[in-house]
Amino acid sequence: MSTQSKMRVLDPTGQPTVVHNGMAARPDTLDGSVVGLLANQKLNAEPLLEAIYDVLSERFELGGRVSVNKGDASRPATPEVLDSIASDVDVVITANGD
Amino acid sequence: MTEMPLTSETIEVETAQQAMELYSERGWTDGLPIVPPTEDLVHQFVKALGVSPDTVLGVEPTKGVVITAEKIAINAVMAGCKPEYMPVLAAAVTAITDPDFSLHGISVSTMGSAILLIVNGPIATELNMNSGVSVFGPGNRANASIGRAVRLIIINILGTRAGELDKATVGHPGKYSWCIAENEALSPWVPVHETRGIPVGTSAVTVAPGLGPFQVGQHHDDSPERILDAFVDALFAMGPLMTEVLLVLCPEHLEHFRAAGWEKEQIGQYLHEHARRSANEWASAGRPVTGSEGDSDQMVSALTSPESLITVIAGGGGGAWSQIIPTWTHGSRAKVVTKPVLG
Repeated sequence: MSTQSKMRVLDPTGQPTVVHNGMAARPDTLDGSVVGLLANQKLNAEPLLEAIYDVLSERFELGGRVSVNKGDASRPATPEVLDSIASDVDVVITANGD
Repeated sequence: MTEMPLTSETIEVETAQQAMELYSERGWTDGLPIVPPTEDLVHQFVKALGVSPDTVLGVEPTKGVVITAEKIAINAVMAGCKPEYMPVLAAAVTAITDPDFSLHGISVSTMGSAILLIVNGPIATELNMNSGVSVFGPGNRANASIGRAVRLIIINILGTRAGELDKATVGHPGKYSWCIAENEALSPWVPVHETRGIPVGTSAVTVAPGLGPFQVGQHHDDSPERILDAFVDALFAMGPLMTEVLLVLCPEHLEHFRAAGWEKEQIGQYLHEHARRSANEWASAGRPVTGSEGDSDQMVSALTSPESLITVIAGGGGGAWSQIIPTWTHGSRAKVVTKPVLG
């Protein structure tokens, strides 16, 4: 029978930093809204966003579109990209079209 | 002096075997058994670094995960490291969390890159690291466990596990461990860390997001040009306009360059000049050149510039086998990073 005493071992894991920003207010309608299409650089992101825009166009009188590609799927959009698109549009759709 | 307390959650177990099973069940391993990270051992490892356990040595840029000395030490113990390896691991963490390295992207991508660590300077000798025979193979304690510790840090501290965040299509054997030292004693040239801004005499760790290595043999000729011609097809298999690619040059090949009086920079110059084919040929091989659609006869190199080639000297004395190691996105969205070993 073992007479070994207990050993205390340590949890090796870490945790991401989580920031709760909440969601932006939802618009009642997209009529008249300029829609931002924020692609993530993956090959099919832009076609997917365009298809979504076309569907929305059938349902609403949209105010136009602004297409932006953040250029790197592995990194968050830069503050400059986010500030730029935020100043030009009313709503944003983003997509990962791998 | 009173030791600063460790803050990680503790778990009581009866035996080392029970700890190994528990860590495996929780997804805290790479699939292999681990050394149980007891409080005593972890204290020893933190002490070897000469900092407090809560010292932050890196923050992963995309998810904001903080990497402390304590968490590095826990994973280093698990990987089978010795306490004296901790300064190398601290430098490696500083390097992989540099935003240029794009740690999140290279770790989760379907492209499946692993992290190649290259250790330079006096510490490689002090730790008895392997830079020679079977340099990428098993058998050296420091090479094996330092590389493994970096992977456990990614699995555990960053939470990047295969099948969860790590979506690599076929993966990479270097994700178990991929760590070497450069054979500086054999090389007539400036070592890789000094070409990347580290002062002479300072130890350093270089991290590269490496894809699958391509071994190239050339036993039939001893002229530098003919040896390098054997590398051209390997570069063609990788793609056009790579901004960073590693060449691990073996001693036998190196000796022919030395005998011919070549400088290190000439290798990149020669390959940049000769690893060229038309945009049409690149396209036919399934690797179209971005922006070349209107000029299919334009000659395009595999390398963006002569400086795109990062040459490292390593391997055993027998056999003329070198390696080319392409990098994730061919260097366009992640960069090789070098950091000094401090302390």
